[in-house]
Amino acid sequence: MAGPFRLQRRTEPSARTGIGLGGRQLSALSLALLGSALALGGCGGPDPEQQPVNLSQGVPLGAVLAMSGNANVYGQDQNTGLNLALAEVNGKGGINGKPLALKIEDSGSDEPGANAAFTLQINRGVLALIGPTLSQQAFSADPIAQRRRVPVVAPSNTATGIPEIGHFISRVSAQSSVIAPLSIAKALQLNPGIRRAAVFYAQDDAYSSAETTIFQQALTAKGLKPVTVQRTQLNDQDFQTQITAALQQKPDLVVLSLQAVDGGNMIRQLRELGYKGAIVVGNGMNTPNIYPICQKYCDGILIAQAYSPELKSPANRAFLRRFQASQGGAIPPQLTAQAWTALQVLAEALQRLDRRQPLQQSNLAEARQALMAEILSGTYQTPLGEIRFTPEGEVIQKDFFVAQVRMDPGGKSGRFALLP
Amino acid sequence: MDAGLLQQMLIGALLGLSVSLPLRCGQLSLATPGFFAIGGTVAALLSTRIPAFAGTGATSPLPALLLEMGLGGLLAGLLAWAIGGTVLRLRGIYLAIATIALVEILRVITLNLPFTGGALGIFGIPQPFATASGYAGFTLVLLALVCWLCARLEQLRLGRAMAAIRDDELAAACVGIDTAAVKLNAFVLSALLAGVTGALAAHFLNSWNAKVGSFDASITTLAFVVFGGSRTWLGPVIGGLVLTALPELLRPVGDLRLIVFGLVILLGPVLFPQGLITPQALHGLGHGLLGFGQQLRGYGHQLLERASGPRRP
Repeated sequence: MAGPFRLQRRTEPSARTGIGLGGRQLSALSLALLGSALALGGCGGPDPEQQPVNLSQGVPLGAVLAMSGNANVYGQDQNTGLNLALAEVNGKGGINGKPLALKIEDSGSDEPGANAAFTLQINRGVLALIGPTLSQQAFSADPIAQRRRVPVVAPSNTATGIPEIGHFISRVSAQSSVIAPLSIAKALQLNPGIRRAAVFYAQDDAYSSAETTIFQQALTAKGLKPVTVQRTQLNDQDFQTQITAALQQKPDLVVLSLQAVDGGNMIRQLRELGYKGAIVVGNGMNTPNIYPICQKYCDGILIAQAYSPELKSPANRAFLRRFQASQGGAIPPQLTAQAWTALQVLAEALQRLDRRQPLQQSNLAEARQALMAEILSGTYQTPLGEIRFTPEGEVIQKDFFVAQVRMDPGGKSGRFALLP
Repeated sequence: MDAGLLQQMLIGALLGLSVSLPLRCGQLSLATPGFFAIGGTVAALLSTRIPAFAGTGATSPLPALLLEMGLGGLLAGLLAWAIGGTVLRLRGIYLAIATIALVEILRVITLNLPFTGGALGIFGIPQPFATASGYAGFTLVLLALVCWLCARLEQLRLGRAMAAIRDDELAAACVGIDTAAVKLNAFVLSALLAGVTGALAAHFLNSWNAKVGSFDASITTLAFVVFGGSRTWLGPVIGGLVLTALPELLRPVGDLRLIVFGLVILLGPVLFPQGLITPQALHGLGHGLLGFGQQLRGYGHQLLERASGPRRP
């Protein structure tokens, strides 16, 4: 037998008896393993949660973002938003004179990574956490924060059921069931003749399959039961099979729940294969990163947004000023605005809490508990518009927007133009 | 170290052992994550749907966990037994490809079944232990048990037959070893272990979805064995522990951590082509520990003698 399955060459003749370890040797080894692990696991000392909040480096907050793995583009956008918001808060005197100290940790794009990063941040003694990036990660990591009674503000989880994980879990990202139907309504308003809708989604992607359910319900509610539902995979590049099958049904509206890369490719191929009707896309394509992918074909697609760069409010102007100064005049994506909002919510809640009950006088567990109550009770003027929370921690956002992509004549860049 | 990380490491070690079992008879099976996913799905479904398993919804009873681990392991083992006869006719790289396909098939089935939650998966899985230390303690006992069984296997007829097939399948068949049955046993044992581990991991991770059993996971678990060494029971354990812990322990390095981690994976096989733990190293380590124990006992005797010395007439 030869081949790659023989990972090791046979080097010594003692294979005759197998690798003989006597019972005593083995038990000695097992004991050593057990002992070392127990020593590693059990650390004594006073309970840090009953100690005063450690303000020596500033007011401690933590963020857990997907800076690596396949969701890293989202994590990078969020990282930008958090750092800009941190500069804004600390530039205005921090938490009543004490600076905010924000530690950002990478969760990767999987659940074990998010769990480890959450635990690390909580053990560091942070007052609250921002994150994680993906809803799937939230279902895994949020219960840890809930059990340890640490407030979490999620900047980008849109799946149903996130705030329901527990009292300490809240989010500033409106769930897809609120936003998605708006773009369908707008498409019908712009073109009342639409009769046949085709739906596409990536069936191995959590965001995609959650959002498509919402889209399909919204379509059915408008009397437009989808004539075809096509499934793709997150890493697909070529959609000819699905598009051909869909176009045979002669749709006049296409609804996509796809991420930026596969969605961009899908739009391009739809147009190239001759589809002329309206296209509505979901939150996954709510980023300027789609422009280089579908280029001139992006023009005209409809999207419902939780953030519009064109919103004229003092909070959005402050955000835009900082963003454009640091990014050379670019248009900020929604994820960056939502991350900024998450930190702003925590900073304002901390300021109110500190005025009422100075942070240095309470222990960590009390401060976390009080901060959660404070987060939920406030109303915030943010780049997203005015927001507040339900008692469960679900965001109540005043303004949503439907935008239409307008590409420049060259087809290289464009903008989300706000529709009235 | 945090108990949560320790628990991740222990799960890594168990998965490493699962991959190493077929390797002991020279079969490169990458199916471990598929069976891991089956065990986890069984546990996730039972503990979120069946009231007796769910407990209060937040905490679940320990016997329920044990039963889930048993059922998860059993289902994975049964599947391995059912398909093993056919799949194990393939050898080397072809077996590897077939097992990758198996993992992929299981993933797609999980995505499409009406009751496994699609891509979002199953969440809100109740907790049999209140803290990560509880999980780690329980898993440590499980790992010690599995290590002991794997070490014992080397002295058993099955283990020796496996070693014989690994070294030369034709010669093993000539001396009367039923090679097909031995390989099937190893494959089923591997699946059983992965299934049991999956049931435990589902509770620990709070949620479970189809991404758990992916091609990436196949490669990661194989890396545990290549890094640690496949010839001894300790190799995959060390590989699983170290490679799971490293990305977390490297956090102080900042943005470079994944680069350093990649370098370690690259340099491991270059510097230790047989893995960190070779049979000789394990033998030496065993003797070393035993010697250390005897030395301690010697010191103890000396101390006792000295303490009782003056009273002697």
